[in-house]
Amino acid sequence: MEISVSPPAGAGRRQKIVIDKLVQSFGPLKVIDRISMSVADGEFLAIVGPSGCGKSTLLRVLAGLIAPSAGRVRIDAKDVHGPDPRHNLVFQEHALYPWRTVYKNVALGLEIERQNPERIKNKVTGLLNLVGLESFADYYPHQLSGGMRQRAALARVLAVDPDVLLLDEPFGALDAMTRLTLQDELLRIYLHSGKTVILVTHDVEEALFLADRVIIMSTVPGRIREVIPVTEKRPRDRGSANLAALKRTVLGILGLEPVIGDVRVPDTNFSI
Amino acid sequence: MAERAGTAETVERPEGRGAVETRFVKVFPYAIAFLSILAGWQIAALIFPAYLIPAPRRVLVRVFQELGREAFLVTVGKSFLRLSVGFVLASVLGLTIGLVCGIWTFFRRTVRALVSILQSVPPIAWVPLFIILLGFGDAPIILVIIIAAFFPMTVSVMNAVEQVEPLHVDVARLLGADRMQLLVKVYAPEVIPAIVTGAQVGFGNAWRSLIAAEMVGGVNIGLGWFINFAGEIADMTAVLAGIFVIGFVSAILDGYFLERLKRRLLKWKYL
Repeated sequence: MEISVSPPAGAGRRQKIVIDKLVQSFGPLKVIDRISMSVADGEFLAIVGPSGCGKSTLLRVLAGLIAPSAGRVRIDAKDVHGPDPRHNLVFQEHALYPWRTVYKNVALGLEIERQNPERIKNKVTGLLNLVGLESFADYYPHQLSGGMRQRAALARVLAVDPDVLLLDEPFGALDAMTRLTLQDELLRIYLHSGKTVILVTHDVEEALFLADRVIIMSTVPGRIREVIPVTEKRPRDRGSANLAALKRTVLGILGLEPVIGDVRVPDTNFSI
Repeated sequence: MAERAGTAETVERPEGRGAVETRFVKVFPYAIAFLSILAGWQIAALIFPAYLIPAPRRVLVRVFQELGREAFLVTVGKSFLRLSVGFVLASVLGLTIGLVCGIWTFFRRTVRALVSILQSVPPIAWVPLFIILLGFGDAPIILVIIIAAFFPMTVSVMNAVEQVEPLHVDVARLLGADRMQLLVKVYAPEVIPAIVTGAQVGFGNAWRSLIAAEMVGGVNIGLGWFINFAGEIADMTAVLAGIFVIGFVSAILDGYFLERLKRRLLKWKYL
């Protein structure tokens, strides 16, 4: 079975990313099985699903780090062939270079582009201000907290000004409070930049708080199970009844429905 | 850079009192070790006659006498020259081969096999062969030093390239890095700790092999020869003075220069 997924009708926006019957296998293991979907220009898409459902693999394919086993992946009507700074990926953690300061980490992409030092300086300084790390420019990653490190990783990717931002559980390793702050910051950056964002996360609330659409994937092999549009205006109220209802729906589809009221008692004749 | 320096107070760094204590804790064991060697030596000197074991004071005087002699300085200089040439050549060779091993699996397997066979032979055992092949002189000694210092560097760099964090490579590729940029911006910084380790271990090997090769290598100049010759004419003061100079020079080169180089290259690890 395959579900075709397109952006909400009438959005009137051009299709930025088109994935057509994508299959991804590693040897005998089929990780992604015929996924088709498209993402509109400037859309914020979230992908949730159990671990091992191929959502990170999907991002790596979109980033051009792995070539599809079958099917096509097109960005701006062109097949993805290898990595391209214009569609860039932020990893979960450990991706900063420990031997570079925060400043030098953020400057990496601009150095690779061989920009002149003056321009690099202006751009990096601006980005450090944007993510609130201006006073930590000369610190090394191991001297920073997890949240600060992810801010730096985000700034490093924003430095090359990608128009597709791929985020692979970027806040997954952070504590709950820091995660909320960074979600707000990501939202602010998204709303100001107009970039197309695909966020892979295992945090359903995070997906519903940020995304235009939430794609739910099933596992082994990864397929699209359901698409939940979130129409509420941003910034959203995390505690709103609408988001709570959507959360229940999503968790239900994932087979994790919260039990309210009566606590279900498991079978009485179970053995341990 | 300067305008950002003012904000450095926000995260505390171990400095002041702590740093002084650390320095004390580091230096103190060395002082004890040095003094106990000196004490043992002094006691031995009291038990044995002076022509067998001269007292530390006499040896120290002899060291300063020798350091005032041009011939001795030339001998030390010659040893140092052989060491430098051999060690630098071995390091460059080891680094190159180690890097190639890291990116070429077949080559790596071959080199691993080669290393495991050749490393089991103490470098000094090659001396007679090299003397016959290359004749008396600097060449056989330098070759022995190269063999001694080459393996640690190669193995250390080879392992490091294999263990380069794949995520770090992906990040640079995503930002558009070409092969050369990957090498300079990811692989090189990532293997620097291994280069430092390889250099330190290699240096220790090179230094030991240098002295040994000079003792048995049929040369008539160099620190190893100096000790050997002094032993043949039963000049124990000179033997011990030579040993003292070897220990002293080695400690300075390894403990000071290589350590400083390491801290400079790995600045980010020591913050």
